[in-house]
Amino acid sequence: MSSRWTWRLLALPGVVWLSVFFLAAFYAVLAVAFGNQDSFSAPVPFWNPLDWNVGYALAVLRDIWSGGQYLTVFIRTFVFVAIAMVISLAIGYPVAYFAARHAGKRRGLVLLALILPFWINYLMRMLAWINLLSPDGWGTRVLHTVGIDRVFIWLGLLTSEGGWLDGQPSTVIIALVYGYVPFLILPLYASLDRIDQRQIEAARDLGASPRGAFFRVTLPLSVPGILAGSVLVALPMFGDYYTPDLVSASPKTNLIGNQIDQLTRQGSEKVTGAVLTIILALALLVLMVYYLRSTRSADDLAEA
Amino acid sequence: MVPRRMAHPKDRSGLTRRQLLHGAAGTVVGAGVLGVVAGCENTTQSIGGGTGETNKFVEAKPTGPKGLPLPRPDNSVTWAITEDNPAILEGRALEKGPLTIYNYADYVWPGLVKRFEKQFGTKVQIATYNSSDEAIAKLASGAVNFDVVIGLSGSNIDNLIAQQLLQPLNHSYLPNLEKNIWPELQDPFYDRGSRYTVPYVVWLDGIGWRNDKIKTDIAGMAVPWDIFWEAKPYRGKVGLLDDKRDALSMPMQRDALHSGATPDLNTEDPKLIAKAGADLAQLAGISNIKVTITDYQTLAEAKTWLHHSWSGDVLGAAIFYLPKGTKPDVLSFWGPDKNGVVQNDFLCVGRKSKRPVLAHTFVNFMLNEKNAYDNFVQQNGYLPPQNAIDGDALVKQGLIPKSLATAVVRPEQFSFNQELLQLSVAGERLWDDAWSKFKAG
Repeated sequence: MSSRWTWRLLALPGVVWLSVFFLAAFYAVLAVAFGNQDSFSAPVPFWNPLDWNVGYALAVLRDIWSGGQYLTVFIRTFVFVAIAMVISLAIGYPVAYFAARHAGKRRGLVLLALILPFWINYLMRMLAWINLLSPDGWGTRVLHTVGIDRVFIWLGLLTSEGGWLDGQPSTVIIALVYGYVPFLILPLYASLDRIDQRQIEAARDLGASPRGAFFRVTLPLSVPGILAGSVLVALPMFGDYYTPDLVSASPKTNLIGNQIDQLTRQGSEKVTGAVLTIILALALLVLMVYYLRSTRSADDLAEA
Repeated sequence: MVPRRMAHPKDRSGLTRRQLLHGAAGTVVGAGVLGVVAGCENTTQSIGGGTGETNKFVEAKPTGPKGLPLPRPDNSVTWAITEDNPAILEGRALEKGPLTIYNYADYVWPGLVKRFEKQFGTKVQIATYNSSDEAIAKLASGAVNFDVVIGLSGSNIDNLIAQQLLQPLNHSYLPNLEKNIWPELQDPFYDRGSRYTVPYVVWLDGIGWRNDKIKTDIAGMAVPWDIFWEAKPYRGKVGLLDDKRDALSMPMQRDALHSGATPDLNTEDPKLIAKAGADLAQLAGISNIKVTITDYQTLAEAKTWLHHSWSGDVLGAAIFYLPKGTKPDVLSFWGPDKNGVVQNDFLCVGRKSKRPVLAHTFVNFMLNEKNAYDNFVQQNGYLPPQNAIDGDALVKQGLIPKSLATAVVRPEQFSFNQELLQLSVAGERLWDDAWSKFKAG
């Protein structure tokens, strides 16, 4: 009896935390999204769901349905985040793989080196990039010397030499990748590190080539890590607004986070901002459910 | 939904904003479905949104919150002094400090604050806000209580009055108002008799550019605003003010210059507002225009070459933000002589000020000629409307380069240009909708 209560008490701080900072806060957003606003543009939340006003939500859905501005921004956000995630994986997987399997005694050092830059505040790092990528910045010069800017121009991803900050989608995506890639590497590293070495040895003993062993054993076993890492980077990317603001500021790179920020921070459309927040959360929920289901089946696979 | 949002140069987008909410999913679905099913209401009409007075003999004018009139040059307003919020009596003794001030960040020179502290033997505490919206919401909530409020303007005036956020001023404590301030702003149409506000600084919406990068004589063009539609060669190096009122009024001014008509930059005509939005959208294609209010840095550092700018920001860029070795005369400014945007903001005493005499004293101190001048040239870059500060003299002294002479606002410009003023609830939303459509790209 008493030990059961001890366990329940241990859960209490977490429950309180979740209730106050997550459930209550989120319910407040709901109450605003399904509320109204007064003549000073201040949101008037409707706390009782029976009173809820769906006018603002329907207006946004109508806009999306008819291919309006919010659809444009949602699609742009999904495309940017998808590309950024693929690039993050392409960079993060080899790094995590190396750290987990080949770094030997130095793996701690390798991980530390990866995480060290991220002790510095995100905004400071982005502001640093602005200086690096400005027309006469060091980064721009290096990229020019190596010829990367010409490759980008040839691919149509950059409009002029040294024009990295001229409102380029490619710069925003690169900045997103840079900002969030460690959150992908760490869970991936953990999952690769956990793979039983003997399974790979067994595969090799049974005649698999190194490449075959990787594709048939290591990669499938690291799927939970890939998914966990992807979710960890995708969630903050979907809500990001300061990265496009800082490295671009062009309407052509505005993400859904920018739209929400603009609507809620000032002006007369705060309720619409809350509605967009809810819609974004719903979209992310779908992704989360998919993630939970795939990790479960991946776990089942691993156990089998 | 009337505007809290406002055209103020110090409104910051950016670094201090909150993170967004993510996640939360479980509750949403359940609650969302419930809401749609149960939703007894389906409206986007805000609560208590003012509609004009109904009289069959008069065309209804749009009104502000609580049905207050919207001040316009041809519709001046004298705000009443109510019994529950009187001005202080004459001849009261100075209270002890500290004096509390609510202001934009970096909008008053710290040296001046020290000077006040020394002169009056008191302490000053400054709290800052990032947007006028935030300031009014916090003042209205009663959570904060300040002696002096700096930086709000005519685009919020109805909100300030309707929510009784300001204390009426007793002019016997403000001799510098009559003595030093431009006659044009002594008895303004938005607050006849300066009952609740006195002017702090003035600015003009115009074009700032780097004349070392752009060789076109922009000021000499028939319609200088056209340069933004001819800015293809400067792609990626062009900026637009990140403020819906300033930005959308720019193509309106351009159209008016072309047609010779007088624009109404406080219009609530849905067609005109939508057209302005569509015109701005062209700029995204032409120059991939950036939407920022960091022109005082980016022009100074040549990260942008052409910017829709507040005059004070370009002066600020020339005075404080140029990198070593760059001369201030690489910056040029053009502002319209008429039918453009000219604006001033306010010094006010907070409704619940506990030190009203000290607050009045501070306002009067800021209206002092030397103090106002030092504030301008030491940090702010925004011109105080002081009779004794002569733009031509500043240019002659070399403090302001010739290429920026037009960035110094003259009193007569208040007669021929327009201020961006409070709109009705519905009108504000038209501007917000056009703006968010443009910003979606």
